[in-house]
Amino acid sequence: MPHKTVRMSGKIIFNREIAKGHFLMSLNVSGHFSSAEASFRGVTPGQFVMLRAKGRDVPFLRRPMSIYSLYPSAGDLIIELLYRVAGKGTFVISRLKPDDEIDILGPLGRGFDIFPHCKRVVLVAGGIGIAPLSFLGHYYGADTVNKPPQIICYVGAQRADLLVGLDRMDEICSDIRISTDDGSRGYHGLVTELFEQDITLYNSSDSVVYSCGPFPMIKSLAEILRNQAVPCQVSVEERMACGVGACLGCAISVKSGYRKVCKDGPVFDIHELVWD
Amino acid sequence: MKENMKDPYNTKLQVDIGGLVLKNPVMTASGTFGYGEEYANFIDLNRLGALIVKGISLERRVGNPPHRIMETPCGMLNAIGLENVGVRSFLDEKLPFLKNFDVPVIVNIFGETVEEYRKLAQALSDVRGVDGLEVNISCPNVLKGGVEFGTDPDMANKVTRAVKSVTDLPVIVKLTPNVTDIAEIARSVEEGGADAVSLINTLKGMSIDIEGRVPHLKNITGGLSGPAIKPVALRMVWEVVKSVSIPVIGVGGIMDAADAVEFLIAGAKAVQIGTANFVNPHTTIDVLEGIDNYLIEHGIDDINDLIGTLKV
Repeated sequence: MPHKTVRMSGKIIFNREIAKGHFLMSLNVSGHFSSAEASFRGVTPGQFVMLRAKGRDVPFLRRPMSIYSLYPSAGDLIIELLYRVAGKGTFVISRLKPDDEIDILGPLGRGFDIFPHCKRVVLVAGGIGIAPLSFLGHYYGADTVNKPPQIICYVGAQRADLLVGLDRMDEICSDIRISTDDGSRGYHGLVTELFEQDITLYNSSDSVVYSCGPFPMIKSLAEILRNQAVPCQVSVEERMACGVGACLGCAISVKSGYRKVCKDGPVFDIHELVWD
Repeated sequence: MKENMKDPYNTKLQVDIGGLVLKNPVMTASGTFGYGEEYANFIDLNRLGALIVKGISLERRVGNPPHRIMETPCGMLNAIGLENVGVRSFLDEKLPFLKNFDVPVIVNIFGETVEEYRKLAQALSDVRGVDGLEVNISCPNVLKGGVEFGTDPDMANKVTRAVKSVTDLPVIVKLTPNVTDIAEIARSVEEGGADAVSLINTLKGMSIDIEGRVPHLKNITGGLSGPAIKPVALRMVWEVVKSVSIPVIGVGGIMDAADAVEFLIAGAKAVQIGTANFVNPHTTIDVLEGIDNYLIEHGIDDINDLIGTLKV
């Protein structure tokens, strides 16, 4: 469903650290902004918002964040964001308290394509990349028209205490396979290695793979899938200024040239990406 | 609108930029507003004094490799490299949308040679919906053309003459701050026939990733914009206003109406909003309304009575 990007004001309900440097923020966009709820109706997982704390000059630019979840509540719209403190900007955002106001642009970008009759959805998440994939899994799980697909999730993190979002994945996944770089939980190694072990289970006739995570992880996944027919869509990151396709700052290399992550993405076919 | 029914709001804010009459002095800066459609969701484009579109070249340009931007304290660095759709696609695909609005469209043009600037001016003249040209001789992010024209008074003069020789449209020349004496360049483009100058474009800068010990931008250097450059822009506008008799348009780090009013007092006849659009897509309208409020609060009936009133 088409939707219009709007600028709106949200109020922080909570903004809590759920693992070292990882935060869950819940925002209430009040009923006063009636256009917001309408705008967000029809949002697809993988789309994002851009945030700026009201009345603060730092960070200067808005910060893009994937939508982790979205739902109406008593006439208001609740937007949840799962994010990692990666620099000064996200650090400032992580210090914000309940009732602090946030200036929001959204919904932005092109989300994941949904395949309604797909039998098996495979999610490959690296670190905070679990955020849009969790939204996607719940989206598939909530399909009341078609029989929801089987959802399998591969989740990787550096250490056990940095695994976030598993509780919500538990609600929808038939199988969650975990890896940690230091072996403190699950498979000792990279999540892509874990996924590669199962690659023969998935084929193009009944499965689709979705992924989000650090750039090297996506690159490694692309190599694993190079000769596989199973479709794979990935959500990628790039520094952004405007989020609406005007500044051309978030260019990414694809086979046909450069694309804007904010407008043409952030979701791309993994086989379209160019790795240089 | 009939002459005797003129909206006092419009009358008060109207400015003349080299024969191009704007209903108010608030413009968008090239490269920060796309082709207009990107921001049509957020503001009523009809309310802008003028809309300056993303710089156009003769042929489509793919721009520089990523990463292209980096945040800095109070601003950002960019090295987009003038990615654009090319003049033909602009006319066929982008301009029709803008024709739906009652806003003067100024096309920013960029060439690698004097001849390319001339051809672009020719291609855009006599096109319905194109109301002016802004000649970009100040981009710091391209190898050929751009700033190499803007730092040499003779070349700046030559480009201006070439453009003026083929068009009747008002010609604004956009100047770079990356020079020792910007007033000298301004005088040379005035002498070349420019109808107005706009300044400043971005300041050349860089940023380093200390973990990888590599530049944050693939292009190594980029153009600094945002509030960090406003004092520099304001000083240069003031210097240029004293040196030329053509209108000066102030650009650089304007985030709100107070910033814009500073430029007007320094002598700018109009202002362009650039990087602020990224931060707040509604900035142009906020600035416009803020200027209006300032005039009312200070009992000034006509914005032209404010322009150039700096007491030193």
